[in-house]
Amino acid sequence: MKKQFLLPTLAVLGLLFFQGTSKKTTDSENSLHVMEADMPANVKAVVDQKCYGCHNAESKNEKGKKKLDWDAFEASKRSKQLAAKGKILEVLENGDMPPAKFLENKPEGKLTESELATLMEWSKSKKK
Amino acid sequence: MKWGLYLLGGLSVILIGIQFVPNNLPTVETANPGDIIASGIVSDDVAAILKTSCYSCHSNESIYPWYSYVAPSSWLVAKDVREGREELNFSNWQDYDMMEKLEKLDDITIEVGEGTMPMGIYTLMHPTASLNDVQREKIIAWAEDAMDVVLEEEDEEGDEE
Repeated sequence: MKKQFLLPTLAVLGLLFFQGTSKKTTDSENSLHVMEADMPANVKAVVDQKCYGCHNAESKNEKGKKKLDWDAFEASKRSKQLAAKGKILEVLENGDMPPAKFLENKPEGKLTESELATLMEWSKSKKK
Repeated sequence: MKWGLYLLGGLSVILIGIQFVPNNLPTVETANPGDIIASGIVSDDVAAILKTSCYSCHSNESIYPWYSYVAPSSWLVAKDVREGREELNFSNWQDYDMMEKLEKLDDITIEVGEGTMPMGIYTLMHPTASLNDVQREKIIAWAEDAMDVVLEEEDEEGDEE
C-alpha cells in the first residue's frame, strides 16, 4: 500500500522540483539581466530602462560597451565597481548621458530628474 | 627663385619671432612628498617603468628635451604636460581621495592595456619610453592590485573612525 503511494508522491515532488527549477531559469531569462545582488531595485529599474540597452555585453554599440558594460560591472570586483561608479557620477554630473545624439532619435530615453537623482545618489555611495 | 627667397626669408622671420612667445612650460618640482612611489604602493620594477614612460607628462618631475624650448614644438610639449598632469599627476598622488585614486588606477589599466598610453607622438621622440607587452602586463597587474590596496586602506581607516 505504501509503495503504491511512494511513486506518485515522488513523481509529484519531482514535478514540483523541475517546475521550480525551470521557473527560476525563466525568471532570470525574462529579467533583462541580473545586477549586483545588493543593487537597489530603484537603481536597477533605471539602469534596465535607460542604460542597459547600449551598455551590455552583447551591445552593438561598441563605444557604449567599451565605456561601460553592466554585465561586466556586475561580475567585477568591488574596487573596479567603485571606480566605475566614480566615472558614472562624473558623466551624469556633466549631463553627457544618454548622449544628445541618441536622444535626438529617442527623446523618451532622457533621464527624468528623479531617475538622474537616483543614479547619482547610488553612484556616490561607496557601499559594497 | 626670387619669390622662393622671399618665402624662405618670411618663414625665417616668423620662426625667429615665435621664439619670443612664452612657452609656458609647466614648472619642474623635484621634492614631491605626496608622490605615489614614496607612498609605498609601487614595486621597484613598476616604479622604474613609470619613471621612464609616464613621469615626463604625469608628474612634476618632467624632463624637458631641447626641442621643448624651441617654438612651435615647445607649445605642444607644454600642452601635453599640462593636460597630462591635470589628468593624472603621480607627484600629487596623496592629494587624491579614494575614489579619484581608484578611477585613475582603473584608467591606467585601460589606457595601458589598449596601448593609447604612452602617446605615440611621445614614444616617437622617446623610443626608450615605449612599453613592450611584458611591461604593459606588469603595469596592469600592479594597477589592479593597487586598486584593492587603496580600497583596503580606506576600509581600515573607516573601521578605525
